[in-house]
Amino acid sequence: MISRRYGSVIEIRVDDNACNGCGLCVKDCPMHVYELRESLSVPIHPENCMGCLSCHEICPAQALEHKGIYPSRRHYIDIRVCEMLNRVI
Amino acid sequence: MTDGTIEKMKGAFSTDLVYRSEDVPLTCIPHPEELEDTLHGLMKLNGLIIRSLEEVAGRGANAVTYRAGRKYGHEVAKYFEKIENIEEALKELSDILRGQFTFEIWKPADKTSYIIQENGSTFIYLVFHDCIVRQTLRRNGQAQGGPLCQTLYGYVVGAIEEITGKKAKLEIVHTGPNACLKKLIIQ
Ligand code: SF4
Ligand code: SF4
Repeated sequence: MISRRYGSVIEIRVDDNACNGCGLCVKDCPMHVYELRESLSVPIHPENCMGCLSCHEICPAQALEHKGIYPSRRHYIDIRVCEMLNRVI
Repeated sequence: MTDGTIEKMKGAFSTDLVYRSEDVPLTCIPHPEELEDTLHGLMKLNGLIIRSLEEVAGRGANAVTYRAGRKYGHEVAKYFEKIENIEEALKELSDILRGQFTFEIWKPADKTSYIIQENGSTFIYLVFHDCIVRQTLRRNGQAQGGPLCQTLYGYVVGAIEEITGKKAKLEIVHTGPNACLKKLIIQ
């Protein structure tokens, strides 16, 4: 589902194979972007997404993908820990 | 600790740099990339102060931090040009805070104006993107929306009150790892 916001395009994808229909994203999203249809989450109002990504954090299946949002700065991630993890992975 | 160890420690603090009284620092030293440790130390310290404040003052912690933030907002915005139009004032504030607290004025798609009137109150939605408070809380595994967030609410309210001369209130609507939605209620 694709929407236009301030001239930019926001795209929200739900991986149908991963989504287990728990409905957590539906309850969590303050902008009522999602709706459950036949036990699958469907982004019916992606134009209302403000990019908080709390739905990503709450989804147990990691089924969600947002394209076109502003990525906020994440200074809380320790660069050295990231480097170490990247080496291990 | 042996003398040799102390000497080695001291050695790390002695340089050949010459500082003259008329020198004005024009660059940030060290390079921002090297400031990561300092930043993490500050975030850790801030998180601990807030945690302790909550332990000691309970719910009163919010009032303390909100007040501090509001004072800071008034202080900083004292030097701004006074603007009566709230949207213009928010734009000005957003430009100044960019990087620390990058925010945008926001509205759901079905609203025609950014100034929304609902159930007898007038408000504007603000989406905070970059936020040093969120980064600090997440760095320390603390919940969003508590006393540290109150400093930011106070800051925005103080600055808006100072610029526009109108009373305001900020309410949290939703917090997320990438952005937070707030309501600026205009009184
Ligand atoms: S939270 Fe994830 S798994 Fe649950 S309904 Fe939403 S997309 Fe599907
Ligand atoms: S990012 Fe936030 S606003 Fe957008 S769909 Fe997810 S929960 Fe809703």
